[in-house]
Amino acid sequence: MDYRVILIENNRVMLERLSSVVRGIDGYELDARYQQAGDALGQGKMFQPNLILLDIDVPQNLALIPEFTDAFPGAALLCLSSNWNANNAAQIVKAGAKGYLLKPFTAQEFIEAVHTFGRSGMAASSETLAFFSPKGKSGKTTLVANLALSLARKSGEGVGIIDADLQFGDMAVFFNLSPQSTIVEAVRDIEFLSPITLNSYFLEVPEVDNLRILCGTKKPDYAELVDIEPFEEVVRMAQSLFRYVLIDLPPGFNPVSISAAELSTQTYLVAMIGGGFEIQHMRRAMEIFKAWPDYGKRVKPVFTRVEPCTDEQRQWLSREMDFPVDAILPNEYLLVSAAANNGRMAVDNRSGTVFADNINRLADEIIGRRKMR
Amino acid sequence: MEEGRRGIVATVFSTASAVGKTLIAINMAAELVREGYHVCLVDLDLQFGDVANYLHLEAEYSLADAQREAKTNTEGFDVKKFLTVYGYQGWSFYVLPAPFALEEAYNISTPAVQHILQQLQLDFDFVVVDTTSAFSEMNLAVMDMSTIITFLGIVDFIPTIKNMKIGCDTIRSLGYEANKIRIVLNRSNSKTKIDLADVEQLLGEPFYHVLPNAFEPARKSIQTGVPLVYSSTNALSTELRALVERYTNRTSSHESSSSGVSSWFKKIFN
Ligand SMILES: Nc1ncnc2c1ncn2[C@@H]1O[C@H](COP(=O)(O)OP(=O)(O)OP(=O)(O)O)[C@@H](O)[C@H]1O
Ligand SMILES: Nc1ncnc2c1ncn2[C@@H]1O[C@H](COP(=O)(O)OP(=O)(O)O)[C@@H](O)[C@H]1O
Ligand SMILES: [Mg+2]
Ligand SMILES: [Mg+2]
Repeated sequence: MDYRVILIENNRVMLERLSSVVRGIDGYELDARYQQAGDALGQGKMFQPNLILLDIDVPQNLALIPEFTDAFPGAALLCLSSNWNANNAAQIVKAGAKGYLLKPFTAQEFIEAVHTFGRSGMAASSETLAFFSPKGKSGKTTLVANLALSLARKSGEGVGIIDADLQFGDMAVFFNLSPQSTIVEAVRDIEFLSPITLNSYFLEVPEVDNLRILCGTKKPDYAELVDIEPFEEVVRMAQSLFRYVLIDLPPGFNPVSISAAELSTQTYLVAMIGGGFEIQHMRRAMEIFKAWPDYGKRVKPVFTRVEPCTDEQRQWLSREMDFPVDAILPNEYLLVSAAANNGRMAVDNRSGTVFADNINRLADEIIGRRKMR
Repeated sequence: MEEGRRGIVATVFSTASAVGKTLIAINMAAELVREGYHVCLVDLDLQFGDVANYLHLEAEYSLADAQREAKTNTEGFDVKKFLTVYGYQGWSFYVLPAPFALEEAYNISTPAVQHILQQLQLDFDFVVVDTTSAFSEMNLAVMDMSTIITFLGIVDFIPTIKNMKIGCDTIRSLGYEANKIRIVLNRSNSKTKIDLADVEQLLGEPFYHVLPNAFEPARKSIQTGVPLVYSSTNALSTELRALVERYTNRTSSHESSSSGVSSWFKKIFN
């Protein structure tokens, strides 16, 4: 498809610069350009554009977004700004824009923005799911990987995993990826990124084109390079990139797990049944989350390796927790570890197992919750 | 004990969770007592420590209380007041449990832990330390202070092995004497399709010791609160004893490292 583009940019020099980028790309035709939004609104219809680039560094232009979408119902609107701002991003999407692009941009960034936002648009509201476990070996990474796949397949919408288990992130191994860029680079560069450029730090998963993964650090010492504030900015930006953001966390309470939980719409507490003191640990962790006024809705306990994996067992665990247990997963050690060993996940391999069914049910519940909002 | 003589710090560490650190730390302490040593076991799994759980101890004080006292009463601080005795049929060792409240756990400081361990070194032949599976500032400081580090691994699935390899490489990069780190494999015959020789090749050295998988005795030990080396004779308790014997026969490794806590990060990159 050919794009007919209208560009609105107040700064004369920037207008030239962006124009020449757009003109240089095959399949894009720059039909008109304006310094004033009012001119574009009044005159642009002549050209029947299907893509509008609107400079929002001019504050009044923000308020004109609905007029643009009214005047050009057949066009996608991308906003241009010289710096990224999560609040602005949410605002423009609510107002009807498809996405947000930092200027100046390169041809490649521009094409990727159109590709990413053109179809489904930027996420106006996303479900951010943080996965917390008191101790390690809870089955958390296994859960995140399989649930993300299930969400991607069932919803057809964008799903992003952030592997924030900073020292020992396993997500890359689970999906058999060799990341060039990881969370360390994303956090390092975030100041200069926009959703589009951040998107390229997330790796594509072969054969699942709406699932992407920001992998963990390659060496545990790199974890020191991840500061909380820019990490939070990465999460916020990811929220505008994906409908579902799943964050795998290191065990226990630490700055990263706490801040991810704070940013989440839902925090899953995960523990693996092992005949030890895991229920006790979960209860203690739950006590901390009770500081949230809305903890009753926001915190979701999950137990893995539950045998027998029956509803009675889930109810028993709920009584032990004094809190409803959201999901239980059966003991599927061989299935899930073989899948992780091969870089292929369990749900994809074999649906119809209790493990896959329970993951799929959890995904349905999450998708349902999103639709309710 | 001679004046000023400082005891051995034996730390159990891993880079994967649930590999048996706590179980091995407990049994190491218990077996050292059987060999006649005066032993204290310290739980540095601050948030979700299991030492007191596994030993069924009702402790009055924790590490948090010790830290508080050490801060407010610098002169008169005596760590012994905060220890709980674990006894079984005439054998006994001391335990400093992890903080009872998570808020307390979050506020434990590394210098306070170093100070407390140093005091314990003056009172005990062995201070056995249980840790968490992370290269935290505190774990690194404790490893610096340690005489010997048992780096525990299991071979179950690929991510765990990746983390064992990364952990080994990272520990090696800290510049300790090779002898200070003992790579021990736990649960060796548990279900897995991965060949041990391949893992040893990846790690670049053979396992110092191998402990078998013994699900039922391990479970029972936790259920009854009695260390395996006290209560039962099975393949696991036998190998646990053998491991401790190998440790105590070595005189050359009794010297404590005195290097301070420098940023591990710097160490790795020079
Ligand atoms: N050799 C073994 N054979 C069978 N079971 C074992 C063995 N070693 C440990 N276990 C069991 O594995 C589980 C985990 O052990 P443990 O709690 O000691 O691990 P850990 O490394 O301290 O875990 P964490 O990192 O969560 O503190 C326990 O249920 C324990 O009984
Ligand atoms: N439902 C389950 N039943 C049995 N074993 C499981 C289950 N989920 C995960 N595992 C296994 O437990 C181990 C730890 O899983 P992982 O997802 O890496 O946990 P974490 O991320 O909490 O450390 C792996 O060997 C994995 O294959
Ligand atoms: Mg994990
Ligand atoms: Mg432990």
